[in-house]
Amino acid sequence: MEDADCLLKVEKLSLAYGHNRVLADVNLEVRRGQIWFFAGPNGSGKSTLLKGILGALRPKSGALWLSPELSSREKVGYVPQRCDLNPTLPTTVREFVLLGTAGLRASRKDRQARLSWALDKVGLADFQERDYWSLSGGQRQRALVARALVRRPRFLLLDEPTNGLDLPAEEALLQSLVHLNEEENLTIVFVTHNLSLAARHATHVAIFLDGSVICGPCSEVLNTECLSRLYPVPTATLKAIIEPWRSLQKASGGQA
Amino acid sequence: MIGEFLSSWSLFYNSYLATWLIGILLALLGVPVVAKDQIFFGAAVSQASTFGVALGIGLAELSSAEFFQWFGSEQALAILAVSFSILSALFASRHSRKGQESQESVTGWIFLIASSLTILVVSHCTHDQEHIHRLFSISPIGATLTDVVVFSVFTLATVALLIPLNKRILLLVLDEEMATAVGINAGFWSMVIFGWIGLALGLSIHTSGMLYTFGCLVLPAMIAKNLCREVRPMFFAAPAAALVIGIISSILSYHYDHPPAHTAVALQSAVLAAAWLWRWIRYLVKSV
Repeated sequence: MEDADCLLKVEKLSLAYGHNRVLADVNLEVRRGQIWFFAGPNGSGKSTLLKGILGALRPKSGALWLSPELSSREKVGYVPQRCDLNPTLPTTVREFVLLGTAGLRASRKDRQARLSWALDKVGLADFQERDYWSLSGGQRQRALVARALVRRPRFLLLDEPTNGLDLPAEEALLQSLVHLNEEENLTIVFVTHNLSLAARHATHVAIFLDGSVICGPCSEVLNTECLSRLYPVPTATLKAIIEPWRSLQKASGGQA
Repeated sequence: MIGEFLSSWSLFYNSYLATWLIGILLALLGVPVVAKDQIFFGAAVSQASTFGVALGIGLAELSSAEFFQWFGSEQALAILAVSFSILSALFASRHSRKGQESQESVTGWIFLIASSLTILVVSHCTHDQEHIHRLFSISPIGATLTDVVVFSVFTLATVALLIPLNKRILLLVLDEEMATAVGINAGFWSMVIFGWIGLALGLSIHTSGMLYTFGCLVLPAMIAKNLCREVRPMFFAAPAAALVIGIISSILSYHYDHPPAHTAVALQSAVLAAAWLWRWIRYLVKSV
């Protein structure tokens, strides 16, 4: 694989839990600086593909290629759906975020710099010494993102990070990610149910349906024809979700 | 009281040193167990180890042939205790997948089956029941120089492993999904960590009995959890608490002629209650 801008390439990939096949013949190519949104109904295999990318699930068949710069996982950040941390355990935001540096060779000074940078990026700069359990749901979610960012990733994967967040918290998180994408050329894969989020922020979309994946640039995939196959709701409803953001994208000549 | 204790040093120094070293070692290993909220894990593994000893005694009772008699030897009982401890630790720590029993259920099953089989195996043994009773109630009073050397080496090896690996271990214990994502082989490292804990528990049970082993695995780490603001300092606070309480309980048990293991566990439990109180007061002050 010669292409320096290609970070992930998936060819005819099939993933399964035991004999239960979840995804078949998936083809996908993620390039540097792109923002991918994986959307689809529950159980359609979005998180399964994420597990495959992260190496937690071996492919049944097909190929999954990661750029050599990501193979050591030092430059991969991951934000899980939720963190099942034992709630009786004492921890501070600083310690929680620094857990993300596990396996990295970094001096104390470098770790501190990474910590400050990551917390600053998610708007938690003043929360270093705060008890993790005193944070609100939205702040904890941002701390999870900071834990992934502390690795200074080139490739960030987020599994439904806006679940359970209210609108301002969701917006704050998304804005942080968009800024990171613009400033650091960070490549993002974002799993969500929320189509309006995808319509607003994605450069590329993958829609998961019945074990297969339809993917491509946002404008090609996020249309009523595709979505009506996914969601049994009136076309007018789908248009109402997508059109405002697509008009905005057209007006700005790209991303909204 | 202290003078009295010091005068007993030449007689019991092996026991004292072994007690303190076991306390430090198990307190260190107890941090991931407590962090993972798998308190019952220690009881189940200890019980499985006890079953290993019961099995050895039962096999020795089967026949007077040399092969069967070997199972009743101290060496064989130690091997069985450690083997069952490691096996049960690995089994209890295995990943539960969708549709399978949870780790907690498997831990409970290990405890129950090991408890019942231990009694069933030894109930008709004509002798050596004393060995089983000893496992439940002994104090490390009979510890030898070999025990001191074994636990010194084990403790130093544990510290040497924890210094470079504490972050990886913590991430693995606290968030396995994230650990896998950053390239840590979660299955392999879980086996290493829990196999190591199983080995320590097996060796400790053989030397100091079930009560002291289980107590030292969970109580100092729980004390540390209530006193520390973060998880990493628990790796210092837990062994420090185990050592200080170990020394005080050795002095008290010698003075009052109480069993050392029971004294130590009672004192650790009392300190834990005080730590709960301290945390509660701290919370109240913060709220105000």
